[in-house]
Amino acid sequence: MSLLNPSKGWRSSSSRLLALYSFLFVAWSGILLGVLYWEVTSYLGNLARHSLMQRQHLFARFEGDQLVDALATSMTFDMRAVDAYGLFDENQKPLYGPIHRFPAGLPMDGQIHELATCVDSDDPNLPRDSCDAVAAPTRDGRWLVLVRDNGSLFAVTTLILHALFWGISLTIIPGAAGWHLLRRRPLRRIRSIQASAEAIVAGDLAGRLPVSNRRDELDMLAVIVNAMLDRIEKLMNEVKGVCDNIAHDLRTPLTRLRAQLYRIQQQSPEDSQQATQMGQVIAEADTLMARFRGLLRISELEDHQRRSGFVQLDPRPLLQELHDFYLPLAEEGGVSLHLQMDPELPQLIGDRALLFEALANLLSNSIKFTPPGGKVILGAFADYDSTRIEVQDSGPGIPSEEREAVFQRFYRCEDGAQKSGFGLGLSIVAAIVNLHGFKLQIGTSPNGGASLILECRQAIELG
Amino acid sequence: MTRILTIEDDAVTAKEIVAELSSHGLDVDWVDNGREGLVRAVSGGYDLITLDRMLPEVDGLAIVTTLRALGIATPILMISALSDVDERVRGLRAGGDDYLSKPFASDEMAARVEVLLRRRNPVTESETVLRVSDLELNLISREASRGEQPLNLLPTEYKLLEFMMRNSGQIITRMMIFEEVWGYHFDPGTNLIDVHIGRLRKKIDPPGVTPLIRTVRGSGYVIAEPL
Repeated sequence: MSLLNPSKGWRSSSSRLLALYSFLFVAWSGILLGVLYWEVTSYLGNLARHSLMQRQHLFARFEGDQLVDALATSMTFDMRAVDAYGLFDENQKPLYGPIHRFPAGLPMDGQIHELATCVDSDDPNLPRDSCDAVAAPTRDGRWLVLVRDNGSLFAVTTLILHALFWGISLTIIPGAAGWHLLRRRPLRRIRSIQASAEAIVAGDLAGRLPVSNRRDELDMLAVIVNAMLDRIEKLMNEVKGVCDNIAHDLRTPLTRLRAQLYRIQQQSPEDSQQATQMGQVIAEADTLMARFRGLLRISELEDHQRRSGFVQLDPRPLLQELHDFYLPLAEEGGVSLHLQMDPELPQLIGDRALLFEALANLLSNSIKFTPPGGKVILGAFADYDSTRIEVQDSGPGIPSEEREAVFQRFYRCEDGAQKSGFGLGLSIVAAIVNLHGFKLQIGTSPNGGASLILECRQAIELG
Repeated sequence: MTRILTIEDDAVTAKEIVAELSSHGLDVDWVDNGREGLVRAVSGGYDLITLDRMLPEVDGLAIVTTLRALGIATPILMISALSDVDERVRGLRAGGDDYLSKPFASDEMAARVEVLLRRRNPVTESETVLRVSDLELNLISREASRGEQPLNLLPTEYKLLEFMMRNSGQIITRMMIFEEVWGYHFDPGTNLIDVHIGRLRKKIDPPGVTPLIRTVRGSGYVIAEPL
């Protein structure tokens, strides 16, 4: 069983938070600069119109040559080519000034109008793009056209757009870098939490989630989960304690029962009906004791601390021994038992006796459920980093929906009910496999029957 | 007469042990606590001690350790309610000669006592040829023969036959066979040992010859002179 893999990318909570934050920041910057732009442009626009109006009022006082002089004088102070003028007669013929053509589309009403294209002229000193313009009659019946470039507005717009662009770029780039850095640390912590949690799932109930001294949300969560684990462990120990006590209390009565039955049998005359009956009762008592021992054995094996018998061992002699041990039984049942091994197998770390017991249980089941004429293969093959020990048979196989259940205590396949067996064997196997940290896969054998593959971690070569 | 000391705090179990061993012609003394048990074991003259692992006052493990430290080599069969592997190893390491976990069958216990008593008999130690009737097992050349007929035995069959012949006339249980010949301590299913015995039987008791291996119903096997 493995836990959900923490997402590497945008799904992490810090990524989401940062994305939301960046979006809000950009939106806010946009709004801020937009408002600023609007305010500044409208202010500058007003300012430009105001000054144009002032000029218009100023020149309205003059007439004739005085007006021409005043216009010429004003132009000498306009170094930036912002202002321009043109004096036209009543037929809009140019009389004086740099503007030689009456701007098209400018109403002759003395009001300020904004023109998209200002003056049609090649003179570099004249504004060419959009401008504010006013055409007003002079006292002597001519028309004075005053033009003021609003290009400064355009410059402000550009300035603000640049600011917006840089602002957003500079928000996004450090934001992305920050996101990368920020998501790494929580992810690392999630990974360490995940590692601890997986150890706990694998059966190490004493394990706890790591808590840092930052006291953030992850730590709060870890503390809550740890408190929960404390409670679960306590309850499990209580249950186990009760079970152990019950088991312990049953040992003596069972011993007494078996002993007294045996004595009654010994005392009854041989070959009498009573002796035969007692024999049957004793056989039942023996079955009871065997199952009881099996249960005790499982609870002992499930206590994960029992690794005192672990050594480095070569699986080959172990498998050879198993093969020799089960060969007579297989032959008796008309089943052929084959041993197939790689010529060299890496060493394993394990308890030899327990591995023998586990594999013996698997083999015993395979032989028991394979009909006469069938085949059972005991195999061992080294993969890159693990060794597969396999038991393949040509029996009825284990239906896929029952594969989990066969390792429960007292489980036995439906159609195998007539075969004898304690039904605890596979639970013992499961307990031994868990104790070793190996994996057991149940599948379908190429021979048509069950395939039980034990994946064993190899011993790490030292030196 | 062979004298046995039974140190066991449960009266009913003790009574059954005494009854069973007495029926084997052994003289059994029973003590129900550890301290007295240790005193008796030391002052002794007993040929064998059956020792409960958990006892009031002085623990069974402490008794074994003390006896061995005092140089007393009386064979000890430890009987324990603690069945796990570590406990067994601890008991044997402390100096116990055999270990039986509760719940146990009294015939199993008696068979183990008999084998332990036999094992300390020095005569069998020095023998190089074991004989039961016309069956011979040469411990040096590791060859077996029945009558004049040499037998071709596999290594485990040899070990099995040697174990049985060393204890000829004694009932040997399947559990004892599995422990002694294969060296494992779990329940392999009764059938399996029977199959191995069956194989051996085919070789040493072929048709037409008086069989030497007898099945003792419910208990185990015995190899003995034909009756």
